[in-house]
Amino acid sequence: MAQPAHPQAMTPSRPGRTRTAPPMKPGNWPSSARYRTYLAFDFTGLVYLIAGFVVLRAAWAFGSGPEAWSALLASFAHPVYLAFHLVTLLSVIFVGVRFFRLFPKAQPARIGPAKPPPRPLLHAGLYVAWAGVTLLLVAVLGGIVP
Amino acid sequence: MKHFLLKIEPVIWLLFGAGIMVGTILLPGYLLTVGLAGPLGLLPADALSWERLHGMVSHPIGGLLFRLVLLALIALPLWKGAHHLRHFLIDLGGGGRDAVVAPLLYLLAAAGSVLGILAVVRL
Repeated sequence: MAQPAHPQAMTPSRPGRTRTAPPMKPGNWPSSARYRTYLAFDFTGLVYLIAGFVVLRAAWAFGSGPEAWSALLASFAHPVYLAFHLVTLLSVIFVGVRFFRLFPKAQPARIGPAKPPPRPLLHAGLYVAWAGVTLLLVAVLGGIVP
Repeated sequence: MKHFLLKIEPVIWLLFGAGIMVGTILLPGYLLTVGLAGPLGLLPADALSWERLHGMVSHPIGGLLFRLVLLALIALPLWKGAHHLRHFLIDLGGGGRDAVVAPLLYLLAAAGSVLGILAVVRL
């Protein structure tokens, strides 16, 4: 059986300051495509945060009665709200595509006896769930199903 | 504060992860109908009427599901938003202010979530 290594085995032969590079961002970090995409993914946080409060406003108006709900729907026809909802939809699609690509890679290799399904199957399953839930909500809220 | 933030990190991550996954899956259906098609007049006249939707909320099983989906649509994007916005600000060099910014963002998400619970209870 091998003996454990000496605690000082990796120390430099001459004592002195360990030469390590200080952590620093590359000079071109804001213009690099990879960083831009990464920052855009983080920036969707602001869109989601506002969207959560807009849905809260809608729920509150709905609970306040028919007049408040009609007023809310009328306010949603304002170009600012329409633009915000369009930007939110684009942000959600961006987040979904990026996150669903990452999700299968982030799964543990095994949980007890269970192994996750193959990555392509998991990836496709997420898209099927996404499309299915979206179609169901559009059908229910759009008045297609009673 | 830094120690406290590290302590609650698993809870924040749980809500953040749920916000990305569930929020992202639920939001397009809501945005396409209530946010865009309804205001643009592309839906049947009574599709988003208060009476029709209230009928759904009043259903014993469907109403509970409706409220849960609505609460998820409110609270989960708030937590995803707060956590991602925190890291966006850190990436832009605001790490020194994180001890103030992070609690403010999480308090905002928590307050919105509590109001969300009240909003779906009073439907």
